[in-house]
Amino acid sequence: MPLEWLNPYHLQVASFMLINAILGVSIYVTLSTGQLSLGNAGFMGIGAYAAALLSTQHQVPIPVGILAGSLLAGAAGILVGIPSLRLSGVYLAIATLGFGEVLRAVLINWESLTGGAVGVAAIPQMGRVILARAADRGFSPESVGLQSNQFISLTVFLILLLCTILAVAFFLRLSRSRVGRAYAAIRLDESAAAAAGIPVTYYKVLAFSQGALLSGFAGALFAHSTSFVSPGDFTYHRAVEILVFAVFGGSEHILGPVFGAAFLTVVPEALRSISEYRYILYGLLLVVMMVYRPQGVVDPALLRRFRRSGKGTPA
Amino acid sequence: MFLDQLINGITLGGIYAIVALGYTLVFGVLDIINMAHGEIFMFGAFAGMLIVSKAGAPLPVAFLGAIAVTAAMGLLLERFALRPLRGRPGASHLASLISTIGVSILLENVAHKLFGAGNHLFETPFAEISFTVGPVTIYLVQLLILLISLLLMAGLALWLSRTRAGKALRATAENLETAGLLGVDTNRMITATVVIASAMGGVAGVLVGMAFNYINNQIGLSMGLKGLAIIIFGGMGSVYGAMAGGLILGLSETFVVAYGSSGYRDAIAFVAIIVILLVKPRGLFGQAPAEARR
Repeated sequence: MPLEWLNPYHLQVASFMLINAILGVSIYVTLSTGQLSLGNAGFMGIGAYAAALLSTQHQVPIPVGILAGSLLAGAAGILVGIPSLRLSGVYLAIATLGFGEVLRAVLINWESLTGGAVGVAAIPQMGRVILARAADRGFSPESVGLQSNQFISLTVFLILLLCTILAVAFFLRLSRSRVGRAYAAIRLDESAAAAAGIPVTYYKVLAFSQGALLSGFAGALFAHSTSFVSPGDFTYHRAVEILVFAVFGGSEHILGPVFGAAFLTVVPEALRSISEYRYILYGLLLVVMMVYRPQGVVDPALLRRFRRSGKGTPA
Repeated sequence: MFLDQLINGITLGGIYAIVALGYTLVFGVLDIINMAHGEIFMFGAFAGMLIVSKAGAPLPVAFLGAIAVTAAMGLLLERFALRPLRGRPGASHLASLISTIGVSILLENVAHKLFGAGNHLFETPFAEISFTVGPVTIYLVQLLILLISLLLMAGLALWLSRTRAGKALRATAENLETAGLLGVDTNRMITATVVIASAMGGVAGVLVGMAFNYINNQIGLSMGLKGLAIIIFGGMGSVYGAMAGGLILGLSETFVVAYGSSGYRDAIAFVAIIVILLVKPRGLFGQAPAEARR
């Protein structure tokens, strides 16, 4: 069989890696103003459920559903962010944690809409839909040497890759803009930033809702990649997992959480025996990182060193 | 019916108050939210369960055992997850929050490995003893829970306000450096605070076992989240706020379940936080001490 290494399992792990990378970026954006949000799992849930319900019950096209889910999550971010951000970062962390729990209670109890604890099944899967469309036009995956399940997984992977690159590029660009400089100033010293005329609350709410929107986006992509969502996908553990991506990978540069998400998705898959102890390791990792390397594995100094050695001009 | 629910609510509120006091003590002294408190509480509950149900020892032994286990955990928590972060230049205030989240996840999953995900029966020898006063049935367990919570709260308040150690602790809470200059061994006070807070969590764990008759590895998370909600509601670092907040939450949960929907029971605490953050951002008792409580 041609391209045997390109099996759906590897592609699925790679796809989860990309979704986690987007989630990692989502918490990075909020952290870049020095705010810790533990609600990103909840916003992810909003995006996922909105996209899933729009496409299963109202036959809305997938891209429209994903867009609507992201925007809804962003709007929820503004609603949660405004009351919490009037206070210090600790309140935000707890209020967002609380938001996640409330949302989970709503998802479980509002059975008529959300299907309760069982969740929503048979969500159109992006790859399958695209294959069906392509087949209508007389395309067959065998013509490019792929089996149809390979084609489906590959399509999902490529779409997610594109989305991840776009998200990273957008926020990389943002960090060099006026907004990004305002974020950095607020992170370094809120009062100094306010004294310099930066509308601190505005930017904090902006960063928070951007993070929420991005989580919702990741959630919507997740719904259309796995074709099944349930309240169990968006618990406190997911929130902590997202936090671990940023803390382990590094929260000072956008590539940090991307690296963290990629590494922490692949390693437990590759080493099955570790997988069972995943959360125990996550816990240890958080403590050890805070003690020995609070800025995470990837920090600007490391990136500079890489760049220098790449050019072959050691400084 | 109403009076029965009132008693249930007060019992639950007493437990919540003790859990919340554990958070408030640590926050008051260190300005740190100890996210691992819920899990330490859970280990207290498991220690009590093993002693009472598995070993068949009497209840006071369970309390002592739970206190020993949780105090030791508090000591380790302070030594390995909090002290290394303290006084480091440029350390973000999120660092300790994140490291205690790490401890909480670690402990929750260690408990999962040790005890599994299912419910464990917590058998109190006198669980069925009750007496009827007029139309109301009161269980002995409820009285005991109430008594222990009241004693614990009164003891803590007295210790903080009247003893030398309490004074040193308040001085440390006021200003770490100044207290250190004035001869307070601040490291020791901080360790004492975390250990005492954890031990209170241990007591609360046994009380929860007595009140609900079962425990599992999820109670740390759900109880911990409620404790957090209470300290925001009552005002961060306020001892009276934690007590009042606990009581209010216990009562409102009991009445919502009795007269409304049980599915949203766990959401009440967080709706309350969002409302209080909007209306009175410092919490109920988070004002200047003079107005705090008469």
